[in-house]
Amino acid sequence: MHNSTLGLIFSENPEANLGDLTNLRALAAVPVGGRYRIIDFILSNMVNTGIANVGITTTSKMQSLTDHLGTGKDWDLARKQNGLFILPHNEAYDSNEQYGVDYIYNAFSYLRRSRQDYVLVSDCNTICNLTYEDVEKLHMEKDADITMVYKKVGKVEDSRLKRHIFLDVDEDGRVTDMQLYPTVQKLNNSYMHMFYIKKSLLLELVGDCIAHGKHKLNADLLMSNIDKLKIYAYEFVGYSKTIDNIKTYFGFNLDLLKKDVRDELFGTKDDDRIYTKVKDTVPTRYGKDSSVTNSIIADGCVIEGTVKNCIIFRGVKIGEGAVVENSIIMQNSQIMENCLVENAIFDKEVILREGKKLVGQETYPVIIGKRVVV
Amino acid sequence: MKAKECVAMILAGGQGSRLGALTKKVAKPAVPFGGKYRIIDFPLSNCTHSGIDTVGVLTQYQPLELNTYIGSGQPWDLDRKDGGVFVLPPYVSAEKGEWYKGTANAIYQNIGFVDQFDPEYVVILSGDHIYKMDYAKMLKAHKKANADATIAVIEVPWDEASRFGIMNTDENLEIVEFEEKPKKPKSNLASMGVYVFTWKVLKKYLIEDEKDVNSDNDFGKNIIPKMLENGKKLMAHRFDGYWKDVGTIQSLWDANMELLDDAPAMNISDKDWRIFSKNPAKPPHYISNTAVVKNCYITEGCEIDGVVEHSILSEGVVVEEGAKVIDSVILPGAYISRDAVIKKAIVGTGAVIGKNVRIGTEEIGAMEDFVNTKICAADITLVAPEVKIKDGVAIAKNSMVTKSIKA
Repeated sequence: MHNSTLGLIFSENPEANLGDLTNLRALAAVPVGGRYRIIDFILSNMVNTGIANVGITTTSKMQSLTDHLGTGKDWDLARKQNGLFILPHNEAYDSNEQYGVDYIYNAFSYLRRSRQDYVLVSDCNTICNLTYEDVEKLHMEKDADITMVYKKVGKVEDSRLKRHIFLDVDEDGRVTDMQLYPTVQKLNNSYMHMFYIKKSLLLELVGDCIAHGKHKLNADLLMSNIDKLKIYAYEFVGYSKTIDNIKTYFGFNLDLLKKDVRDELFGTKDDDRIYTKVKDTVPTRYGKDSSVTNSIIADGCVIEGTVKNCIIFRGVKIGEGAVVENSIIMQNSQIMENCLVENAIFDKEVILREGKKLVGQETYPVIIGKRVVV
Repeated sequence: MKAKECVAMILAGGQGSRLGALTKKVAKPAVPFGGKYRIIDFPLSNCTHSGIDTVGVLTQYQPLELNTYIGSGQPWDLDRKDGGVFVLPPYVSAEKGEWYKGTANAIYQNIGFVDQFDPEYVVILSGDHIYKMDYAKMLKAHKKANADATIAVIEVPWDEASRFGIMNTDENLEIVEFEEKPKKPKSNLASMGVYVFTWKVLKKYLIEDEKDVNSDNDFGKNIIPKMLENGKKLMAHRFDGYWKDVGTIQSLWDANMELLDDAPAMNISDKDWRIFSKNPAKPPHYISNTAVVKNCYITEGCEIDGVVEHSILSEGVVVEEGAKVIDSVILPGAYISRDAVIKKAIVGTGAVIGKNVRIGTEEIGAMEDFVNTKICAADITLVAPEVKIKDGVAIAKNSMVTKSIKA
């Protein structure tokens, strides 16, 4: 797979809505898990599989994403040949009117120029630790045209059905039906928004869609070709979480407080690491009266107060007597002495002045925007 | 090659034998420090912040890990098109090949390397001190004084002055005399092992020194006295920040613990003078419901279920439930099992401490086979890297555990 496959990642997903967290940044650049951005997981998966050429589609909200990715050196993607390619968005369209097919169409010259013959196309917001060797193997064994990655799910809540695409898969592993955002759940193979395809076929199918005024990747490029092409499915077994709203965002972060999830995502060996931008922050300093339980804490923090069930990002300061519970506190935020924070998400560089109280609901966390001073 | 105004040479070949088991397999500059650093990160980061982008690292003793660590120099921003960081082991040429005989000989053997960059000045540094220093300021003073050599000095307590190389200066800080470890010091200005030389002057002295068969080929013993004797202009450059030679187990432990002081003498969190290091790409650390962490530094990849007090934990350390780590420095990847008690110890990289093991204990009947007060003074206990200690063993304080204790 190493030399024959390139990765194509969409930095946005019109079906995801993270409210204030994506006001100023791409979905792919939303901070998660204490020191990561959403895109780090899929990008590291690709790198760990040996993919050395990755293109990332962008929209006008690309600043924070490009800051994060830089030249790609933290993912070992700053290379002479191949490497990381930030694909500019097409100024001619408003990004809201662009769909997957348009993003790939915009990337045509990049795709044509690349030496690889296969493409792994993926959304950025499904978090898992997946290496793609087995996907490629299945694709070759079955002589498939397209191989889609899915996982088995149980009964999906009605309110979540509109987020799922279900696949009907026969005994041979071939996809016989696709159900997009159904109102009633009939299947339990949930598509993970990643597929593997020969580059020449992708270019042909996208060209065909564009020529017929069709723009939707799932409906127009995949579903309508089920009978015409050999579409196979690869079952992923393990932890995965799609971040598409505040609830799933919060849920993923809190999942990291479970040891089995951490062990699976970050690996216990050195060969499946999750890479991110290196900031050279110092280790975290715990004060004499700090009290910390069940929390993930990144480097560069100074913790003097009480922290419980939290995800604390790099460089956060929590003052003496402050109590922070069930919250996600992003980079360089400061919670001063004797504050109380519960069920909250603090974006980067928020300052909460002494003695302030901020309490959200477990089901509805309060979100404080970037650089807000309370 | 593009000419450089100033090239830095870091002497990183020392064995550091007083660090005992910590330097059995790695050179002293590669010894971990402060949770996420190696000693050499300090001079390398200082170079980067001082605007020096061409650095030679002279290695000799156990260089492999240090070579791998430095790699392309990317963590220190020293992967440069012109210049960058270069690891310079001794080599064989057409005439002869030999080990570095002394600090001056190490530079002598690399005259060809320095000459490629045609620098006006060279900065000679040692790879075994913890400090943050702007070499650019020192270089500026060197140029202003039109000196041939400038030596960084720091005031040390008078009663300790006889342990250092002491510079006796006039009122303008011009060096009039240099005394190595004087019995009756006339000054308390100690050399920090940081030198700026005008390269063409130094080169001449190195070549002459090499011809002298009686010379130890050492900067302190030979080059500096010779320059003074010949009336060269040698200036002292005062440094008043934190500077620590971490050459012994006690000083290494002290320097780590000083980071935990209420007002640490050295601020490692200074955003304008970050200490860069190679990042292991580990997730943030996790502190569980059963953990108690107080007055400590903890870094990426750690999983803490036990008690950690007044200690420094490096990346990937595990402390199981019921275990206690007190007044200790735990190096990368060490594993502290359930109910173990680690007191005033340095636990080496990858060491595995079994259940209910007591390290650094005063209890009667504790194993004294490894007591080594020569290396481990002041009640400090050292567990060598990769050592495994079986469940239930008690290790007396002042021990240096050099091999596994198996069931």
